[in-house]
Amino acid sequence: MEKYKAKLIGYLWLWWLPVAIVVLWWLGSQNSTSFFFPPLSKILSVTLRDLGSGVLWSHLFTSLANMVMGLSIATFLGVAFGLLIGELKGLREATAPFLNFLRAIPPAAIVPIVIVALGTDAAPKVFLISFACIWPILLNTIDGVRGINPQLIETARAFRIPFSLRNRRIYIMAALPQIMAGIRISLAIALVLMVISEFVGASKGLGFYIREQKEAFAMAEAWGGTILTGFLGYLLSAIFLRFERWTLAWHFQDRDNA
Amino acid sequence: MTLGLRVKQLLVIAGVFLAWSLCDSLQVFNPDVIPPLSSVASAALEMFSRSELYPAIWLTLRDSLAGVAIAALLGIPLGLWIGMFPKVELSTRILLDFGRAFPVIALVPIFILIIGTNHSAKITMIAIACFFPILVQTIYGARHISATVTDTAISFRIPAALRFRKVTLPAALPYIATGMRLSLSISILVAIAAEILTSVPGMGTEVRLARTYNEVSVAFVYTLYAGLLGVALTAVWDFLEGKMLAWHHRDGEL
Repeated sequence: MEKYKAKLIGYLWLWWLPVAIVVLWWLGSQNSTSFFFPPLSKILSVTLRDLGSGVLWSHLFTSLANMVMGLSIATFLGVAFGLLIGELKGLREATAPFLNFLRAIPPAAIVPIVIVALGTDAAPKVFLISFACIWPILLNTIDGVRGINPQLIETARAFRIPFSLRNRRIYIMAALPQIMAGIRISLAIALVLMVISEFVGASKGLGFYIREQKEAFAMAEAWGGTILTGFLGYLLSAIFLRFERWTLAWHFQDRDNA
Repeated sequence: MTLGLRVKQLLVIAGVFLAWSLCDSLQVFNPDVIPPLSSVASAALEMFSRSELYPAIWLTLRDSLAGVAIAALLGIPLGLWIGMFPKVELSTRILLDFGRAFPVIALVPIFILIIGTNHSAKITMIAIACFFPILVQTIYGARHISATVTDTAISFRIPAALRFRKVTLPAALPYIATGMRLSLSISILVAIAAEILTSVPGMGTEVRLARTYNEVSVAFVYTLYAGLLGVALTAVWDFLEGKMLAWHHRDGEL
């Protein structure tokens, strides 16, 4: 009983402020006649209307599909090249400045170049998302491989563990906490690139929905789409954090015991 | 840094250039996406005689720094306050997680309507994007004081103001510095994105204009220069941080 009480109080501390803000926003905007700040109740009702009619769901699905594709490609390439570069000390040191420069290139600048050249369908967007997402994953994988306990590597060598098995069971596993952290960073980047690419040129997707509503001066719908994008970001990062905790349960266990 | 390493690093860059020109002659790349090395190289040099380059760099840099400054002025005091009181930290956690995960760029259409397409809109977006990393790092820093230090300060009955100045602030500074470093590179990325989407003057707008006039090489070079600007900003920050937090780095080496 005491345990539940403590848990409940914990939840109360966690949620009272967000709930208070939403309630204040709701009440404060209820009689708003401002064009820019429509009542929260109206934002909610138009968003639910567009969700109910399926329009928003199909935009949401298109956006998510691009994100998942882009992020998967970036993860695959980032981990593969990260293992290769991370395992070879000379290559790692020689490529470091170049990779750091590539990471600093603003992916948004490439959006108009790619979209004007390749059109407004899904492939250029997937390309843009993977280009932006690969750097955190690549650099984190390199870091993760570099941080492997040398004893582990020596042992693997001494037992002549074959290349592919070594990669799969030792390098990837040892670098996994870093790789997962890289993917988590890239998840946020993927969302940003998804939105930008859909603002610049698209006929579908959440970004397109927001821009279309703004151009029709439908402020409540534009706010709704924007808030929905925020929720998508929050939800994705919360889900991924759970997934990360689950896949790395052994890692956190070790760390807590140590 | 040994000389051999520098040579290797230059060799990597030379190798990239070689591969690029090889791909050009074999026509691997779509020239509308990755233009030939020769035309990019000539554009990279010719740019310096163009009068629009310098204002573009300056406006991107100025707005980025203004955004970071606003974010720091708000984020550091707020972060210290939140970090010093566990109950406040608990109460704001959900909001912070939401704010951190929110793609600021999604606000562009709404901001265009409310603020208009001007530098204030750009600076506001940069400030919001930089606010969260600074805030979160400051909170980490303020919370990351070891129990021994806190207990010592309490048992010596060190007054709150003095404790803040001599214990909490120095302990949080390295974390704040990390937050600032992150924010500086984020600020350039957001500035470019905002310029691309709103056409407020800056390097992003030049990329878009060059692309519209079919000068792909020029657009490409602006993109590369924007990357260099980000690298330069972080390098300057690392230098300043080394000077300001010399005591911390010395401790770390011991």
